[in-house]
Amino acid sequence: MLTKIHHVGVVVRSADDALKFYRDALGLPVTADRVIEDQGVRGVLLEIGNSEIELLEPTREDTGVARFLATRGEGMHHICFESDDVDAELEGARAKGIELIDQKPHLGLAGMICFLHPKANHGVLVEFATPLKEGH
Amino acid sequence: MGVGATHIDHIVISTNDSGTVAQTFADNLGIEIKRKMIRPGTSAQLAFAKLQEVVLEFAGPPQVQPGEEVKAKLWGMVLAVEDVDAAVAHLRELGYAVSDPRPAVQPGARIASVKDGTSGVPFGVIQYNAIPAEGS
Repeated sequence: MLTKIHHVGVVVRSADDALKFYRDALGLPVTADRVIEDQGVRGVLLEIGNSEIELLEPTREDTGVARFLATRGEGMHHICFESDDVDAELEGARAKGIELIDQKPHLGLAGMICFLHPKANHGVLVEFATPLKEGH
Repeated sequence: MGVGATHIDHIVISTNDSGTVAQTFADNLGIEIKRKMIRPGTSAQLAFAKLQEVVLEFAGPPQVQPGEEVKAKLWGMVLAVEDVDAAVAHLRELGYAVSDPRPAVQPGARIASVKDGTSGVPFGVIQYNAIPAEGS
């Protein structure tokens, strides 16, 4: 069961530049900031209430995030729903015939994550995440 | 110091068929569409779902035009703040272009739009209980 919106992902050219607004001007605390090599992004999570804002800066040009930035520019990229069982969410989606990007969950900044294909939701990229017990 | 944000108030999904897209999200993700309304002064239909403190707002025409593909995209977000006037003053002091606060669709609320520096995200801050109810 999806329990809340874990985060919204925002693709940015430069996380350092974006932090001037999201961290410094808004005053949101950074809870994670690291490069995820296999996804070719630097991800920065900022806490806001029970959710987070995830800034995504591409670190390579051969990734979906880099292609998004090249074709659409900066902006909102995906929405992530939290579940206590990301495997069950993925199986449930598969059983409904929903087109998937990930065939099984993998480790991401938000925990164990998987993405549905944006075609499944008319163009909106949806992520499911189960945070790790030890946090980010 | 920041803007005194407490949580993400709502995330806007822009679409050319708010009814179909809201129903797709309900079917695919098991979220409940709690309310639909016509945006005052327009023909746009708004549909709302809520997960804990965050509202998902589907905004656009109530139906797609014949022959047109249903499309949707993540558009923008609004943070709830304790004092919208103070938030606007703070952001302006830092050099951001921010609209004057205006009455929001939500009863008793006032909202202001941040017009630059948000990394491509249409962005707002909203304060609830900002307008005293009539008779109070």
